[in-house]
Amino acid sequence: MAAQTRPWNETLKPEGIKAYKQFVAERDKQVASFLEFDPLRAQGTSNERAAVSTKSKTLEGLPFGVKDNIAVKNFHLTCGSKILESLVSPYNATAIQKLLDAGAVPVGKTNMDEFGMGSSTDNSAYKTTNNPHDLTRVSGGSSGGSAAAVAAGLVPFALGSDTGGSIRQPASFCGVYGLKPTYGAVSRYGLVAYASSLEVVGALAKDITILENVYETIKGLDGRDQTSTDPNDFPLLKKEVKTVGVLADRSGLDGMQAKSLEISIEALKKAGFAIKEVSLPLLDYAVPAYYTIASAEASANLARFNGIRYGNRPIYSENPDDLVRQARDQGFGDEVKLRILLGTFVLRSGFQDQYYLRAQKIRTAIRNQFDRAFEDIDLLLLPVFPIPAFKHGDLGMTAFQQKLADKYTTAANLTGLPGLSLPGPVLESVPVGMQFMAPAMHEHLLFQVARALQSSLPSADPAAYPAVYS
Amino acid sequence: MDTQDLVTTAGMAYIQLSDKELETLGKAVEQMVDFFEKMGEVNIEGLQPTTHAFIKKNRLREDEVRPSGIADEMLEQAPDLEDRFICIPNVL
Repeated sequence: MAAQTRPWNETLKPEGIKAYKQFVAERDKQVASFLEFDPLRAQGTSNERAAVSTKSKTLEGLPFGVKDNIAVKNFHLTCGSKILESLVSPYNATAIQKLLDAGAVPVGKTNMDEFGMGSSTDNSAYKTTNNPHDLTRVSGGSSGGSAAAVAAGLVPFALGSDTGGSIRQPASFCGVYGLKPTYGAVSRYGLVAYASSLEVVGALAKDITILENVYETIKGLDGRDQTSTDPNDFPLLKKEVKTVGVLADRSGLDGMQAKSLEISIEALKKAGFAIKEVSLPLLDYAVPAYYTIASAEASANLARFNGIRYGNRPIYSENPDDLVRQARDQGFGDEVKLRILLGTFVLRSGFQDQYYLRAQKIRTAIRNQFDRAFEDIDLLLLPVFPIPAFKHGDLGMTAFQQKLADKYTTAANLTGLPGLSLPGPVLESVPVGMQFMAPAMHEHLLFQVARALQSSLPSADPAAYPAVYS
Repeated sequence: MDTQDLVTTAGMAYIQLSDKELETLGKAVEQMVDFFEKMGEVNIEGLQPTTHAFIKKNRLREDEVRPSGIADEMLEQAPDLEDRFICIPNVL
């Protein structure tokens, strides 16, 4: 396709809509990032709100994709699950409403691992999303649809959710920026809950300025979310980044991932940052603690899906109990059933101390270790995933291997600290990204370092999907 | 975890397991529970549990009526509706 650079907001004007729809339909045939796409559906809401909005419109006219576990009025809200196939959201999540108020327009819902449980988006009940850089590989997960849509140039940014790495890992697999904000910085109102104490709403983009504008727009205290926090309640510890910590122990990384880290360290040095090695031995316990807590919270949160008030229910059932059992049996996929079983088990009386309570205490120990680390450094550079984007199916990783590989991402969720994954160098056929973690509510440090590395590690367009709108 | 433990757990979670699922999911659950044993290596003496990263206290709002305005649209989502009642099979 010939490169014809046009501003994104042209796509949402009446004369641009048809061309934009064709462009997305064509490109998304093979990438399969969107579950639902309709740039006109939210436009009425946008104009209506625009009249009353007094905010500056930095995102005016930008279309965006939304992971299908975040509520957008009049769009489906399937969470990638059969059990919610028929659900249409009657309201907007707080983050969506804030973006609408800023003039941005949600144009569709993106594919995801069912209820956010997975690292490949292959756990979706609906379709298989492919990595725009190499269609034989996964786009990552669970926000794989959002990452693929941004990487393929279908939208300038997309919202995702990150419970254990679900924004940062697909962003790194697809070569775009992915921000997991500080826990509570962005309201979770309208995000379908999976693991409430760990997850956040965040965003993915190819352009760091757009990402920062999105974050500035969606953050803030919200009375509708008990766990949302006021960023001003946190002390400003550091204004700018001087020293970046790197893990002293970088064993266990794939050759390409190690290479990506070395390239990043060189780029940091060249940009004038000091590098300091740090040791975080408790990282080895992040994954078991994370899965204990996440499964426990999932078993409680997913108890609400029973086929009675909304969603799919069986054609015939003997009694209410039978209805609920059948609805869940037919509606949930294997990975979801596994985590519900696991979570129910670790919460059973007699096992709680051994698993759930112990995991929460390890969570405290990990937080303490990160707090100490940030006394000597301003940011921490970490890998995202031990290997680059893997192949679909049997050629890739088993479900268990994928869980073990969450070692570097789950720490940000257990500690609540913010993390930003950056597009890394394209090695072989796919980009291999890395991430930075910062102290709580210090997202500005993440954006500072991302801008400093922008020229040396740009977000590369996939060869088959060059930029058309920019 | 033995089969009875798994069946009891599944019953609590309203998850119906076929014989095949008992085998495959059973193995997967056991693999994870075995993996969780690794947490036994960490000295947790004197540590308080973390339930949420930054929440210190409950936040309360004024006790006042705030209409959501979407009750009808919410009801429309019900798979089986009669007037404004959601239907379920007979309880008895």
